[in-house]
Amino acid sequence: MRSSLLWKKIWQHKVFYFFLLPGLVWFFIFSYVPLFGVQVAFRDYTFSGGFTGSPWAGLKYFQQFFDYYKFEQILRNTIIISFMKLFIGFPMPILLAILLNEIRSIKFQKTVQTLSYLPHFVSWIVVVTLMQRLLSLHGGPVNELLIALGMEPVQFLYNTSWFYQVIVGSDIWKSIGWNSIIYMAAIAGIDQQLYEAAKIDGANRFRQIWHVTLPGVRNIAIILFILSIGSLMSAGYEQLLLLSGPATAGIGSVLDVHVIQSGISEGRLSYAAAVGLFQSVIGLVLILAVNRIARKVSDVSLF
Amino acid sequence: MKRHLSIFTILNYIFLALVGFSMIYPFIYILAYSLNDGKDSMLGALYFLPRKLTLDNYAEVFENARIWQAYKITLARTLLGTLLHVGLSTLMAYALSKKSLPGRSFFAFYIFLPTIFSAGFIPFFITLQKLHLINTFWVYVIPMLFNFMHIVIIRTFLQGIPEELEESARIDGYGDFQIFMRIILPLSGPVLATISLFIGVAHWNDWFTGAYYVSDKSLIPVQTLLQEMLTQAEALSSSMQRSAQQGGQTISASAGGSTPESLRMALLVITVFPILCIYPFLQRYFVKGVMIGSVKG
Repeated sequence: MRSSLLWKKIWQHKVFYFFLLPGLVWFFIFSYVPLFGVQVAFRDYTFSGGFTGSPWAGLKYFQQFFDYYKFEQILRNTIIISFMKLFIGFPMPILLAILLNEIRSIKFQKTVQTLSYLPHFVSWIVVVTLMQRLLSLHGGPVNELLIALGMEPVQFLYNTSWFYQVIVGSDIWKSIGWNSIIYMAAIAGIDQQLYEAAKIDGANRFRQIWHVTLPGVRNIAIILFILSIGSLMSAGYEQLLLLSGPATAGIGSVLDVHVIQSGISEGRLSYAAAVGLFQSVIGLVLILAVNRIARKVSDVSLF
Repeated sequence: MKRHLSIFTILNYIFLALVGFSMIYPFIYILAYSLNDGKDSMLGALYFLPRKLTLDNYAEVFENARIWQAYKITLARTLLGTLLHVGLSTLMAYALSKKSLPGRSFFAFYIFLPTIFSAGFIPFFITLQKLHLINTFWVYVIPMLFNFMHIVIIRTFLQGIPEELEESARIDGYGDFQIFMRIILPLSGPVLATISLFIGVAHWNDWFTGAYYVSDKSLIPVQTLLQEMLTQAEALSSSMQRSAQQGGQTISASAGGSTPESLRMALLVITVFPILCIYPFLQRYFVKGVMIGSVKG
């Protein structure tokens, strides 16, 4: 009796299952099949053999990666670059949101906000082309400004001594406005009475920011921080594919780029899949660990 | 006390004005460069306005067959990709917004699970190979048909539509699909605009697919073309710059014309400006979309 009721309900919703179908098939093919295909990291992949028919290779490709003479360099570069992006880049949108919130002129505030979203809407190709042009030694406005101020012109791009500044700086430029949206929303949600109460208690503007605004964005900041820890093992492949040339390879070669170059460009698919799996597993472990710490320390966690 | 605060306010205004300026200036500069005579631009000292105003660079960009072809590919994939993505995602999100649907939470979990652990580039690449999508136009469209976050954003919006509307339509004899087309879609304008912007920009800006999954030159989109120019540009512009500075006299005497760099800037402008003209008008909607996305995510 009950099961016939269920079938009746399912039959009533038949059109909705039809709506779901394309998506269910797509997620199966483009999410679950690749997940199942992770096993090529443990096989000698051949095109005819595919995911399941290629011979087993055990941990051979992992061993190959650990023995690779650039293994330590790649790992170190990945960690350094993503840590720099995290610790310098993460607080920036919060700072921007707080400073924007202190502006009384709505028109000025909205204009700066709209402008700050702009770089989010262009690709890394465009950003790097802009940088090539603006930072050029040959008629680029930035170097002309430096010369006008009596300084030496600087080769910014593909130069090891400016590499980190360029990577972190362009990353912040591109993402600061977009990432501040969520903090602006959190600040807008703070009860105005809290500010009134703080004022009555004699708190100046900095004290108000410290005691009211910052606690107001704390929870969302912790959640976003946990999420960004999960991607610590990927330093941003689009940016680094474009901004790291042979000259900066020593400090600029990272895991993602190594996977793409050894796998897709050189065709060593099993090896690259092993490197990619190593990266994903560490990412997963990191996010679980940070989530656990955050839950203990602050009662805020993802799951 | 009062004085101290106003200093902070002034510094804050100056700082934020500089931030805003740094966001827009690169685009002002390339606009000026693309509208200036190419050879004249190499002499430098170009900041806000073109010195020798000309449309030659644009004329040459539009005459270039390869650029036209790339622009057509970009337009086609963006239009088709956005339409299919928004249509199919909305259908799926609508079904998932039905609380009475048996198996609803299973389906929601089914599409959420892959966001936790990524398989990485290589298994995905092999899947594309096996599907014979590599080096076809469809590799731009099909792998981008769905996105978990977009479905969540649309579903959250649809759950806000009062159920009474659907009920009364049902009494009027509408079927499920008719309700979707005549009631749900017309009410979903804001969220559809948001998702169209997100996915449209993703299609428009994607250079990676063209660079790594496509080798046929006639299938390359504009962004990948720009990437190819990236590597050649710096060497080329520096050598031309040197000859321009050494032969300054002959430059000013010659009739002028385009350079690879000025063409590149014109191409950059026609790549970037369509988006820059659209996004400010959708701001109200996408800000809401971002908030739903990060609260639920």
